[in-house]
Amino acid sequence: MLDALSKNISDQLNTGILILDHDFNILMWNRFLKVHANKSDKDVIGNSIFKVFPELPRKWFERKLSSVIQLKNQSFCSWEQRHHLFELSHSRPITTDSDFMAQNCTFMPIEGENGAERICILIEDVTDVCHYQTQLTKVLQELALANRIDGLTQTFNRKHWEECLASEFSRAVRYKQDLALIMLDLDEFKVLNDTYGHQGGDIALIETAKSINELLRMGDLFGRYGGEEFAIILPNTDLAGAEEVAERIRIDIANNIIEFQEQNITVTVSIGVAVVNEQDLRYEDLISHADIALYQAKKLGRNRVCIAKKKVVA
Amino acid sequence: MNAFDLTEDQQDCLQELINVAMGQASDQLARYLDTFVYLKVPSIEQVRAEHLFDSLNEDLAATAIVSQGFFGYEGIRGEALLMYEPQDSHRLADLLGYEAGELTFDEQIIDLSSILTTTFLNVFANQIDNQMSYSAPRLLSGSLGSVNKHLQQQAFNWDLALKVRISYQVTDYSFNCDMVLLIPEEAIINIKTVIDRILAEF
Repeated sequence: MLDALSKNISDQLNTGILILDHDFNILMWNRFLKVHANKSDKDVIGNSIFKVFPELPRKWFERKLSSVIQLKNQSFCSWEQRHHLFELSHSRPITTDSDFMAQNCTFMPIEGENGAERICILIEDVTDVCHYQTQLTKVLQELALANRIDGLTQTFNRKHWEECLASEFSRAVRYKQDLALIMLDLDEFKVLNDTYGHQGGDIALIETAKSINELLRMGDLFGRYGGEEFAIILPNTDLAGAEEVAERIRIDIANNIIEFQEQNITVTVSIGVAVVNEQDLRYEDLISHADIALYQAKKLGRNRVCIAKKKVVA
Repeated sequence: MNAFDLTEDQQDCLQELINVAMGQASDQLARYLDTFVYLKVPSIEQVRAEHLFDSLNEDLAATAIVSQGFFGYEGIRGEALLMYEPQDSHRLADLLGYEAGELTFDEQIIDLSSILTTTFLNVFANQIDNQMSYSAPRLLSGSLGSVNKHLQQQAFNWDLALKVRISYQVTDYSFNCDMVLLIPEEAIINIKTVIDRILAEF
């Protein structure tokens, strides 16, 4: 009675059941596996599991099962570590991009007839879980990125850029390395907005960010500091190097013609450059030095680069 | 003293059960791993839920935690956390008898945790005439910062944790790990009932 019931239930379970002897021959399987492996009893029962499922990593599998046999322990294998062990079809071939069923497998020692020791393998279909978890991870990555990026200019946003500066600053101070900061501001941006409208202003910001990006090296950290103000962290760069980069940016932007509604817009930028010096205690000090130089560049007539004055210790 | 605290006798009895379980488990492990396993007497302490984070924070070096649920008859159940230190993990694959590159670091510590947890708890269960089932082991996190964050986000439904510190030393492959058994309130009462029964039999 119970045997008949068990058979009935095991054949309707949505979990694969596989019983092996100690030589890894298959003694029994249930309907779920039969259907998903698409093999017939006569090719399976009595045969070695490695012959029936040649895709199994044999050495790994033998070692795994040896712990089950020797320690009489349950052992597990999750889809997160191995997407699947057995190449089985699954129930969502259309709506997921999995070729094979993602599986959680449980290996356990059981007692067969006359006390013979057997190994039972349970195979759960977790294709759904795998699919949604993968999607979730992807979305979380996108969110993390979106959290760092300024939507309009695709440069780092203020918050993330400042975090970068904080860590670069403490690194530079700790290892006594050079660190330069460039702050730049679009000249007469209000006039530009009044002339071409806010869409024109947006295009100018986007195009300016684009031209600056092309002039930067790997490792430089470029962000939008405020409305029309951008900032660039240049690790391992001395004052002369930073000034050269700043000058190139200034010339490039001044020569760049931005097309907007069949009109040509040209913009110029004023730039302040500063490097870390021994008196700087906080990264905010570096920002204020560069900011003062930027203000100086504006005052001297715009479209120019000014260097922060080195503080003379009296 | 509240209903979940163990009396001195109960504490001694539990320590003894765990010592014997550890002894037998390490013997089985040594045979399986085919190497000597040295083992110190495990220390047992109770940690209240609100202090667990502090207690885990003392092990700032721990970088990976593997969790596995266990459940037996008579309402004995809980969750085992195995915590690893980073410098110990290089040669685990060797120790486990796998080929280099055959399994990832995650898989190595999950496999080892499962073996340590189930071997220990099987023997423990055996001593109290019980039998355990296990959930699949899960890697909670690979780095400490996120381990703490993860633990803090969990709405735990237990009040007392039994922290069993095990220090395994395996010839040639020295590594340490802490096993923390988290046991929810009602399971503590159940364990106390079992311990009292054992004590009464003496």
